[in-house]
Amino acid sequence: MKEREQSSPLSFKQLPVGFEFPPTSYQLSEPVIAKYLEAVGEESDFLTSGIVPPLAIAACAMTALSQSFTVPPGSIHASQELEFLKVVLIGVSISCGGKIAQKMERGSLNLVILEINVTGQAGEKVMTGKATIAAPNQ
Amino acid sequence: MKEKAKPSDIHQGDILPTVVKQISQQKINLYADASGDYNPIHIDEDFAAKTPLGGTIAHGMLILAYASEMMTRAFGQSWLEGGKLSVRFKAPARPQDTITTSGKVDSIEEKDGIPHVNCSLECRNQNGDVVISGGAVVKLQ
Repeated sequence: MKEREQSSPLSFKQLPVGFEFPPTSYQLSEPVIAKYLEAVGEESDFLTSGIVPPLAIAACAMTALSQSFTVPPGSIHASQELEFLKVVLIGVSISCGGKIAQKMERGSLNLVILEINVTGQAGEKVMTGKATIAAPNQ
Repeated sequence: MKEKAKPSDIHQGDILPTVVKQISQQKINLYADASGDYNPIHIDEDFAAKTPLGGTIAHGMLILAYASEMMTRAFGQSWLEGGKLSVRFKAPARPQDTITTSGKVDSIEEKDGIPHVNCSLECRNQNGDVVISGGAVVKLQ
C-alpha cells in the first residue's frame, strides 16, 4: 500500500511525545482494495459498491505511522480506537498522518499511544483514531 | 452494499449478525502483504516460536476487520460514515483458530436529534477465549 520512499526510521524510543509524523499519501486503487478484501475474507460488496472498507483505511494509516519509526521485534497491538467520518471511494488518494500522543512503561513493556488522522483529497477528515502499541523492554 | 440503517429497524437488545472466520498462516501472510505490516511476530515462525507468545499471531487489525464486517452487515453505510469503535486486544489469535464475532445493541440514545446506537462487541476463538472486546457507536443520520 505504501506509495512514498522512506528515510531510515528512528526507534520510537528516540521520538518525543508530541512528535508529528509527516503525512503519507496512498492511492486506494481497485487492485489494492481487492488484495485487502481477499486478505480479510470480507464478504460485503465493497468492490461493486466502489467503497473502501473502513478498516482498509485504518490499516493504511497504521502502516504509514509504523513505517515512520521502528519498534522492537515482537511488539504487539494492545488497543485501538477508530472513528469513521466519511465514505471513501475506491480510486481516491488519502493522506495519513499522526503523532506520538503518549509513552509509558508498564513492567517489562513500553507502551506508545499514537494518534491517527486520515484526510481525503480535499483535505476533509475521513477517519481519526488512536492505537496503543506494546513493545518489549530491550 | 446495504444502505444506511433506519432508526426504526434498530432496537435495544438486537443481536448483530455473527461473522465466523478461520485463521491460517496463509491468511496472515496475505494480510501482511495487503497491509505492509511485516512484523516478524506475524510472519516469521522461527522468530515467533522464541518469543513469550510461542508462535505467530494474527495481526490485531485483521481480527478487527471481522468485527467491522459484522458492523457493516448490521448498519450498512451508517457504519462507514458514522461508526466509532474502541477495543482492546485481549489475547492473540493464532493460525488454525476459528474466530467468531458477536455483538449486541446495548442502548440507543438521541444526541442533537441524531440516534446513537451503542453496541458491545467481542471476538472469541474456538475455545471461547476473548480475543477482542470493546464497544462501538453508530450514528444513524
